[in-house]
Amino acid sequence: MSLSTLGSLGPAVAAAVIAAMIPRQAKTKHRIGLGAVAFMLVGAIAWLWPDGSEVATQADSDEWPYLLDVLIGLPLAGGIIAMFVPRQMMSLMRGFTYFIFAATFIASLFLLATPMTVGWHHQHIVPWIESAGIRWHVAVDGISLWLVVLTTFTTPIALFSSLGSVKTRVKELCIAFLLLEAAMIGAFVALDMFLFYVFWELMLVPMFLMIGIWGGADKIKAAVKLFIFTMSGSVLMLAAIIYMVWTNHQLTGHWSFDYLDLAQLLLPGQLGTLGPAAMCFWAFSIAFFIKVPMFPVHTWLPDAHVQAPTGGSVVLAAVMLKFGTYGYLRFSMGLFPGQAALFASRLGAVAIVGGILYGALCAWKQNDVKRLVAYSSVAHLGFVMLGLFGATPSGVSGAVLQMINHGIATGALFMLVGVIYDRRHTREVSEFGGLAKVMPVYATLFIIVTMASIGVPGTNGFVGEFMIIAGTYVSERLNQFSAIEAFGAAFGVILAAVYMLSVVQKMFFGPLTNDKNKKLSDISVRECVALSPLIIAIFVLGLFPNLVLKPMEPSVNAFIGQYRKGFELNKAMPNLQAARRLPKDMFYDGFLKGAPEFEPKDDDETDATEVAAAGGDR
Amino acid sequence: MTDSVFVSVAPLLVVSLGGILLMLTEVFAKRRPDAGPSSDLALGSFVVLAMGAVVALALWFVGPDKLTGAEAAAPYLIVDRFTLFFEFVLCLGGGLACLMAGGYLPEHRLDRGEYYPLLIFSTLGAMILVSAGDLLSLFIGLETMSLGVYAMVGFRRGSMRSTEAAVKYFLLGSFASALLLYGGAMIYGVTGKTDLAGIGAVITEASKAAGAAEAATASFNWGMLLLAMVLVIAGLAFKVSAVPFHMWTPDAYEGAPTPTTSYMAVAVKSAALAMLLRVIISAFGDETSMSWGTGWPPIIALLAVLTMTVSNLVAGQQESVKRMLAYSSIAHTGYVLVAVVALMNDQSDAQGSIMFYLLTYTVSTAGAFGALIYCGSRGKEAVSYEDLAGIGKRHPIAALAFSLFLLSLAGVPPTAGFFGKLYIVRSSIGAGLNLLAVLLLLNSVLAAYYYLRVMVYMYMREPSPGAPIAVPMRSGYVTTALVISAVAVVVLGLWPDTSLSMAIDAALATR
Repeated sequence: MSLSTLGSLGPAVAAAVIAAMIPRQAKTKHRIGLGAVAFMLVGAIAWLWPDGSEVATQADSDEWPYLLDVLIGLPLAGGIIAMFVPRQMMSLMRGFTYFIFAATFIASLFLLATPMTVGWHHQHIVPWIESAGIRWHVAVDGISLWLVVLTTFTTPIALFSSLGSVKTRVKELCIAFLLLEAAMIGAFVALDMFLFYVFWELMLVPMFLMIGIWGGADKIKAAVKLFIFTMSGSVLMLAAIIYMVWTNHQLTGHWSFDYLDLAQLLLPGQLGTLGPAAMCFWAFSIAFFIKVPMFPVHTWLPDAHVQAPTGGSVVLAAVMLKFGTYGYLRFSMGLFPGQAALFASRLGAVAIVGGILYGALCAWKQNDVKRLVAYSSVAHLGFVMLGLFGATPSGVSGAVLQMINHGIATGALFMLVGVIYDRRHTREVSEFGGLAKVMPVYATLFIIVTMASIGVPGTNGFVGEFMIIAGTYVSERLNQFSAIEAFGAAFGVILAAVYMLSVVQKMFFGPLTNDKNKKLSDISVRECVALSPLIIAIFVLGLFPNLVLKPMEPSVNAFIGQYRKGFELNKAMPNLQAARRLPKDMFYDGFLKGAPEFEPKDDDETDATEVAAAGGDR
Repeated sequence: MTDSVFVSVAPLLVVSLGGILLMLTEVFAKRRPDAGPSSDLALGSFVVLAMGAVVALALWFVGPDKLTGAEAAAPYLIVDRFTLFFEFVLCLGGGLACLMAGGYLPEHRLDRGEYYPLLIFSTLGAMILVSAGDLLSLFIGLETMSLGVYAMVGFRRGSMRSTEAAVKYFLLGSFASALLLYGGAMIYGVTGKTDLAGIGAVITEASKAAGAAEAATASFNWGMLLLAMVLVIAGLAFKVSAVPFHMWTPDAYEGAPTPTTSYMAVAVKSAALAMLLRVIISAFGDETSMSWGTGWPPIIALLAVLTMTVSNLVAGQQESVKRMLAYSSIAHTGYVLVAVVALMNDQSDAQGSIMFYLLTYTVSTAGAFGALIYCGSRGKEAVSYEDLAGIGKRHPIAALAFSLFLLSLAGVPPTAGFFGKLYIVRSSIGAGLNLLAVLLLLNSVLAAYYYLRVMVYMYMREPSPGAPIAVPMRSGYVTTALVISAVAVVVLGLWPDTSLSMAIDAALATR
């Protein structure tokens, strides 16, 4: 940290003082909390401002390689230590968890200080299970960076809001949150397919417990549904991973689960036929589509969201769903560019009709506000998937931005729904009406977040959706349908306004008819503290989207270039009967940094080696 | 020293002498009136079996090829890495069962001393079985093992269920032994040999001759050999409880005292699968028998698919956790059978994966049964899901341990069970059996459902008002067994390298 960074703390201190003085009758604890939130946010913005305004061209040579280990290890170790804290010491438990989360969040800010050039950063590789070629391989690039920060940013907020309403088994809740965060960060930064799979499965267990223990009336069904849906997808993915590893072993003679190594593998199978390549692509993609969730495998989501406690919903919406989109981007598109490009236009149509439009229509018809928000997630993530299918620089950047936007806006919406649920223990829209008269601050916040969710200019939702639609329009992957698809997506934005505004109108305006609503207290300071970072983030990202977009630009462009090359290369080989290795010049500079190095199996060039596919010679 | 035959069979000697010593102790020892036989025998028999395991491990590090004295016992007892690996696994499974019995028997008023010698001698039989290289010693080992287990199943003398289980198990077990014996006799009739390697050599000769000239095969009765093979496989399928030969398993497992169930699920099953491996590799390892068109692979593949799917579907319907675990152990047999099919193309890898799987399965299953034992006390066993309701809140450590073992059985990373499955899937994909591998993985989703259900009851349900509330027992023995299994599950999950390479070494020994 240099002197200039210290100098920029001035505005942050000012913001902290102002924030601490705003509430009228608050306890010192809350004032300190508000002050800390304001301090951290303004400090963070001020800090990343200079880096955000220009594209980094030079890599920082002395990156600390253990940073990601710390990010995963802190909550993991915290979760294990927390198991030994006596359950009577609730305040110690809470304080400890907040401390770990704060430390993790601050550690993750160091990621933002790293100039994000093309390629992997903070890469750390340690051999783990050598006989199977499994390594501890973690790294971030401009894309996963934001998802890691989103995780460390929203998880503490979710815990904070949960602890407001959950009074039973606080210890278990804290442990579940800590382990969940460790697993989520791990899955975002893992570059070893095995490691990724471990974290991917691992995060399911705390979420399963979170829904099943602290959930609503029908919690067990929802929890089991979540687990079984996700697991069915992930075992298919596991089969595909093992198949690829095995084929790679046949080809090169070494075992490796490394993403960077497997990306060099081109599986046999003509484009458009159901060969091994297509099977593996679908195995991966179905796992991710379930997680997104995309139509028609989205049915677990509304149940899970409705039954989950507020904090669980926030983490589920804000972070866990992103594994579907992130996984599709990183693994399906990264490992199978040919197949992904081939199916893009059809999948794009599914994303629009099944996701954006159908999700919006379903949301419109819901009476339960939480269910409505859950269906709106289906629609929003349809946008993200559309941006990825389009695979234009603007579409993919927009999609990544929209992942973050959705995390912030939907997370905030779930928290707001939680606020009213804590007061009335119902979420039926028909129970409310005219709430703006009794809860003015709550209504204001709700409307701000609604605007962000709809995508009104000035809020974060606008930028992402606009970039995705623009990217869709010019996309060559979506063929002649790109204009129609862009139109469909734009229509989805209108539908979003329809369902969100109609629920706002029904809940907050009109006559205050229900007697039970007349005595409701407005949003408490604690709830404000929990929401304020998200509200601030909505405007920061809405007004200064370049903060996020600039650092990821090099990574996104390089990734798309590689994706296109991969597709062209695959198209040039229509009759590929055997698996082969791709030439190294297909990948952008720095992509293969850290890929396992092995002696080629034979004396000929690695990229010319060919062996028969599985079963081909038997 | 290493040229003495007694060194080569030291694990067997240690266990049998230890068993005899304990039996004498049981008769002559004077105890305080309030202390049952379990108070010293449980620890004693655990020590005996642990010594057996340690001796097997020591011989492993000496290297079986240095044990020149082993020739004297061959082919009746073969001492190679395969044998030593399984001897270790069996002693581990038996030892864990002893510890569980030490807590279980006094708690449920079954504290009679003969249980421990029965268990030790049954383990001895299992160890003879895995080291047998001849149909005769194989049968002796099998019967020694089974007779002990029959008695252990019926150990709760006054209980109808226990008696029914024992009778069922005894009748069907004898039937399976008879099938096996009949198959063995026919093999002797065709080949003129009783040792497995000799049988394998004769069949290989004959199948080579069949390729060379039609006339040479006239003297060799292929039809009878095929019949013998089917009989042997059916007998083995009974013993490993593969569908559709599994009918006895749920009843026997449920009726038996839980330590016996654990012992059957772990040690008896491992021994039976080891026998299956040895017979298939040594006797039926020639090209004709190993090929998809003319040999056993399609039969085993069918058994594997049926076993996995049927048992997983039925397991989901059970209301008793013990019965569910019985079906789950059948399902695990199915997973192993998938890798047995993979033997046809990818031998050492597939066999290594089976052996590693059995090691992980041993610790996870023994742990799960141990946790089930731990959750019930004072004559009231925890058997149904309802009995486990709310354990997670009242006894978090017990629930945590139980969850760990269930997650390992379900194959959630990074536990031991996950690596077991991973290696099996890898070897079956390597053998070109992609469809079987996918079926195995989809089956593990089905399995996840019923394992999760236990967790649902432990963490998310409260006992219904008025229902008896399960109180975990206080027993150092059971706790020790749980700690050993839990450490093994975690260690095998995080660092599977060493044990896997040992399993592959062991597999290479049988080629």
